[in-house]
Amino acid sequence: MAGLVAAKKCITPLVVIRRLSSPEYKAQAAYHKKVVDHYENPRNVGSLDKTSKNVGTGLVGAPACGDVMKLQIEVDDQGKIVDARFKTFGCGSAIASSSLVTDLFRHIDEALTIQNTDIAKELCLPPVKLHCSMLAEDAIKAALHDYRLKQQDGKIEAVKASN
Amino acid sequence: MLSLNNLRIICTSQALQHSPKLLVNRHCVSKASSFYDTRHNNGIDFRSQNESKVKHINSLERTFCTASIKLNCRQSVGQTPAFFCLYCNFVQPPHEGASFFQIMDCDKTFAMDTQRLQKTYLKLQRSLHPDNFSQKTEQEYSEYQSALVNKAYRTLLQPLSRGLYMLELKGMHIEEGTDNGANPMFLMELIQINKALDEAQSKEETYKIGASMKEQLKDLTEQIHCQSTFAQMKYFANIEDKVKEKLSELMQTLLTLF
Repeated sequence: MAGLVAAKKCITPLVVIRRLSSPEYKAQAAYHKKVVDHYENPRNVGSLDKTSKNVGTGLVGAPACGDVMKLQIEVDDQGKIVDARFKTFGCGSAIASSSLVTDLFRHIDEALTIQNTDIAKELCLPPVKLHCSMLAEDAIKAALHDYRLKQQDGKIEAVKASN
Repeated sequence: MLSLNNLRIICTSQALQHSPKLLVNRHCVSKASSFYDTRHNNGIDFRSQNESKVKHINSLERTFCTASIKLNCRQSVGQTPAFFCLYCNFVQPPHEGASFFQIMDCDKTFAMDTQRLQKTYLKLQRSLHPDNFSQKTEQEYSEYQSALVNKAYRTLLQPLSRGLYMLELKGMHIEEGTDNGANPMFLMELIQINKALDEAQSKEETYKIGASMKEQLKDLTEQIHCQSTFAQMKYFANIEDKVKEKLSELMQTLLTLF
């Protein structure tokens, strides 16, 4: 839960915005309540064993805003995603995007179909924060890519061993 | 002669009142400013005229000189932004095309003498602060100028923002969105540093991380050679900001204990 604690303490804009409690401010400058929910109660913060063959790790960064995102998925032999964990250091929208993503998919095929537009729509992200949802989509792709590589390596090794 | 000149003032001023566009109309202004030059050349000093006309003439001078700085001033050849009119010392509105480097009178290079920058900044703010002016237009212009000088100073002071601004001037900027070519080892290192910062319990640990970030930023500043260096600096600068926040939070917690 270190990530959660860190997320709460590190990011001040949400705190500031909550303090501006006048309705006009809420309409103009506030984070959407779904983003706030994911930020305050993020789902699946943590890490999985990077070395395990069933775990795919996606590590992505957005240089313009300096956000870093790590997404890990654990897949069983049937291609079902049994666990997903994330760690994001960045703005509230980035944290919410990655938290939402770990909730959204339960099968590899589903994971492949997730688009950043789905994430943005679900969280009602403003245009200026759309790149956060893009980052989350790229993190999924990176995690899946890593998993596939590991699986391929595993198969190659198995073939070598049998010969 | 005198009455004819007076007539010209009244006619032109009326035109100006009724059609503000005439202010930027080159033809009209060049007429007015040539009249202005004639005034000097002929040695006619309108200020010595009777009171009722002086106020009228002064307001005319100010309208003209703002325009003449933009269009006619010798100084503007190098696009040097002028803060005050040379003739009557009236505050000028900010020059649209001026870069921060021009505003702060610095060479357009990444290497910057921050001491000199600071001195220029203080000097400018001393003369441009809105509290120095009483007239409404002057106050308004000085507010814009003052805010612009603040922005220019803040941008040019830090190497990262200075570098990003220089890229912006050339039409380049760091791409928004994921950096697909990023080194995974570098990203992992960033995650570790962020994690360590989260878990830091004491001021000393936080301070240590802050110091290492400063070192990294200093090294990168010295090795600036391409756009991606700025991207790396951005990550470290973000962590440095988080270090500052964490330190202030730790201080707050300490204070509440006593």
